[in-house]
Amino acid sequence: MTTAFKLLRTDWFGLLIAFLVGAAALAATQPSFLSTYNIYVMLTAFSLSVLVALSQMVIVAVGQLNLSVGAIGGLAAITFAGVMEVWGLPIPVAILIGLAVGIACGTLNGVVTHVTGLNAFVVTLATLSIFKGTNIGITEAQPFYNIPEAVKAFGNARLGFIPYLLFISGTIVAMVWIFMRRAVLGRQLLAVGGNRNAAELSGISIGRVIIAAHVISGVLAAVAGMLAVVRLQLGQPTIGDDWLIISFAAPVIGGAVLAGGHVSVAGTLLGVAIVMLINNALVLLNVDPFAVQLLLGALILAAVALSRFRDPA
Amino acid sequence: MSVDVAKGKAGSARPRLALLASNEAGLVLITVGFVVLFANLTPGFTSPFNIYALTRVLAIDVVIGFSMMVVLVTGGLNLAVGAIGVCAVMLGGWAMQVAGLPIPVAAALALAFGAGLGALNGILTVVMRVHSFVVTLATMSLFFGAMIVLTQAKAFNALPAEFVSLAKLKTYFFASSMLYLAVGIGVLLWWLFHHTLIGRQILAAGANPSAARLSGVPVERTIIVCHALSGALASVAGLMLTARNGAALPSMAGQLGMDWLLPAFLAPVLGGTLLTGGTISVAGTFLGAAMVTVLTNGLLQLQVGEFWVQAFLGIILLIAVALDRLRAHVMERRRLR
Repeated sequence: MTTAFKLLRTDWFGLLIAFLVGAAALAATQPSFLSTYNIYVMLTAFSLSVLVALSQMVIVAVGQLNLSVGAIGGLAAITFAGVMEVWGLPIPVAILIGLAVGIACGTLNGVVTHVTGLNAFVVTLATLSIFKGTNIGITEAQPFYNIPEAVKAFGNARLGFIPYLLFISGTIVAMVWIFMRRAVLGRQLLAVGGNRNAAELSGISIGRVIIAAHVISGVLAAVAGMLAVVRLQLGQPTIGDDWLIISFAAPVIGGAVLAGGHVSVAGTLLGVAIVMLINNALVLLNVDPFAVQLLLGALILAAVALSRFRDPA
Repeated sequence: MSVDVAKGKAGSARPRLALLASNEAGLVLITVGFVVLFANLTPGFTSPFNIYALTRVLAIDVVIGFSMMVVLVTGGLNLAVGAIGVCAVMLGGWAMQVAGLPIPVAAALALAFGAGLGALNGILTVVMRVHSFVVTLATMSLFFGAMIVLTQAKAFNALPAEFVSLAKLKTYFFASSMLYLAVGIGVLLWWLFHHTLIGRQILAAGANPSAARLSGVPVERTIIVCHALSGALASVAGLMLTARNGAALPSMAGQLGMDWLLPAFLAPVLGGTLLTGGTISVAGTFLGAAMVTVLTNGLLQLQVGEFWVQAFLGIILLIAVALDRLRAHVMERRRLR
């Protein structure tokens, strides 16, 4: 009885049930749902979106938000593709440069929000436009087409229904999970988000924590951007343009409190999984794929209403 | 610092410079400076066609800025301005082209629809007691998604010629007639916020909700009114853009209407509307939009690289908010003294 109660109180249990029920219903009505290829397609999309969601989640943990997640991903993506095509740099170097872009963008966000004390919303709106503008300035809105064959091959490689991309994002998800639960800095993120003054009084350096959160967010967004290049097989300047809603939807569905201090990696994963499931259901049932926008909006509202109901402040 | 401010009253130059950089006078100076600069650098800048094109863009950006301003005053924000604008004009376009309604009726319908969607944002914000950020993030996806599903992403491009010609009118000094509409709306907003009861109540509720509530201001109602007003203004901006484009396009504000967010925040923030709520500057928003439009247009005329304009605007917003912060800091110091 008490175990069941404890499970019900977690962020993820209800979501897991919802996911399983949804998946079972789809599997029963749509035979193609469980086909190897369909699962492969879903897992590929999942590998990417989960990093986008975690990139936003670490910022939500400190009680801020980051509108520039997609713009960082896009800039890292075109840099990654561009240095390979234009300068002919080897793949590992290109990956490092892509990561460096993520670190640089995250540092800029973190330093500006901390030093000026400005609302992260407006800072990241400005940097969104700086990063996206730089992306458009460099590419002149044209994609980089000549991606090395090895990168393309990796993007298509799969082990049964598991895309190789999932191994990369799976490793990163595991690292973020351990980081948020066990690492000192991870706990400090939540402490700062939960109660800034109390965190400061207990000797936590607020500036360091906030800047670190933005750097981690930048790196996760950059990895997502590079994985998008690998998946699309080209350095598309529009990568990241449509990440904003999913980046907030998944953590919020997963029980994150936007005021900070409470996030759930498991909840966020299930949030992404549920969105993927809905997306896939719309495709399989031949519903207008744009309806997913509508459903995502409704889902965010429902999640917020539910958290209000669970925890009336 | 406080010494400097004290000297400022006696006529020192330093704090006055800070004031000039942030208030309306500063914006006028900077804008005029840019106009003179661009007029000398490129002959195309002062050509009749460019003045007409510039004032037409300005008129639209001013109204987009107003649409955000009226929500910022509550201490909230509205990410769904673009989505509401597009939804409203798609209804307006349908009313004109498919239902064949007269232009004023169709426009009124679009305005009412926009106001309704805005009011929905306000009601959700009040009922759920969450920040309008998350509500309008959700509704932006909701509204835009519903619009795409209903219209099948198809444009209404056979609008009545009289409607499209509204945007083509030129007036004195080649200025677009739409600029007068924007100025007229600005005057109405100024009157609303400074000379009516509800306007004063909105300002009071935005500055300090609990104090306002204790003095009998219906805070929740002011929030809903502001969001409805924001929706109506977004619809006006959408209709103006539709008249300019000659068609009601689902893509006119980009993915989820997000292309409007930057101009929407730039104008009020440059104009000195504080993000924390409780202050408003209609003239500032107008001038903020004017500065951005002149700068964008000039950079395009100079052909310094059209692809870099967005990055420039981002840097300007960053500098503007930093100055805004500095100004708030100075004001705080003054109040403490």
